[in-house]
Amino acid sequence: MSGQFLSEEQRDALQEVLNISMGQAADVLARLIQTQVQLSIPSVKQSSRQDFIGCLKEPVQQHLAQQSFLGELSGEMISLMTDNGNEAIAKLMHYDTPLPEQDRQELLLELTNILAGACLHGLISQLNFKIQLAAPVLFNPASLCSEQLNWQQALLMEVQFQIPETSFHARILICLKQDSLYPLMHHLDMLLQ
Amino acid sequence: MPIPITIADDSALSRKTIRRALPPQWDVSICEATNGKEAITAVENGLAEVLFLDLQMPEMDGYQVLTYLKQHHEKAVVIVISADIQTQAQALVSALGAFRFLKKPLDPLLLATTLKELGLL
Repeated sequence: MSGQFLSEEQRDALQEVLNISMGQAADVLARLIQTQVQLSIPSVKQSSRQDFIGCLKEPVQQHLAQQSFLGELSGEMISLMTDNGNEAIAKLMHYDTPLPEQDRQELLLELTNILAGACLHGLISQLNFKIQLAAPVLFNPASLCSEQLNWQQALLMEVQFQIPETSFHARILICLKQDSLYPLMHHLDMLLQ
Repeated sequence: MPIPITIADDSALSRKTIRRALPPQWDVSICEATNGKEAITAVENGLAEVLFLDLQMPEMDGYQVLTYLKQHHEKAVVIVISADIQTQAQALVSALGAFRFLKKPLDPLLLATTLKELGLL
């Protein structure tokens, strides 16, 4: 199950486009907190609804924010972060910690906007797509069941951000629905021409 | 005599993008490397008077390549072309002896200006 939708060339191109997008997102965060952010190697894989739900469940309690997008590409973007990690960021941003619930939620949404927003923006601007992005909302993965997802197969892209010497660790998942795959492949081919 | 240059990047798309961005009038012979080890081999074999170097690569990353070249007093002109554009990354590669730092996606005009500034064009 490793990105079977895509040819090897298309997968390489998508991974490079994600690398650049992730670099731009990390740069925005690094400037805000005056600290270097460490990047992962982006992963690209085919995902069923069960795989998708499975990858949202982690041993440590996570907080999730979700942002939908539609237009020439449609899908969901999910950010996963932990309390400890966000407290670490809050300190770097000179918030008083421990964070009250309200601030914790605001910070999660702000980080989602920064990281997930910049990743998606990088992806669509390099591939020349137009989309509309909804505002992020908090959500509880325990309440999610596969029937709520209106797709069978999707392309799941994941990037991760860490801040060395802190517990900050964010996972950003971009889930592209089936019907966006043909346009994605077409635009990747244009980039490769 | 064409100048030997090497493009070191693990992404085929990225190598292609750099190749295309090279000024057409620049007389070069191009070698490609897909990881840091291959980049060093290219330098040691005289195939990289100019080395375009990615930072995130398997085997040996760009920072390790710069460190090795510095320790071995290699004379390659290294231009880093990176997706990680944080100021900390830029400062580190400059301390390790890279001549310039260019951001991905690569701007061909900026590449041409950079090559002129370095007296390569």
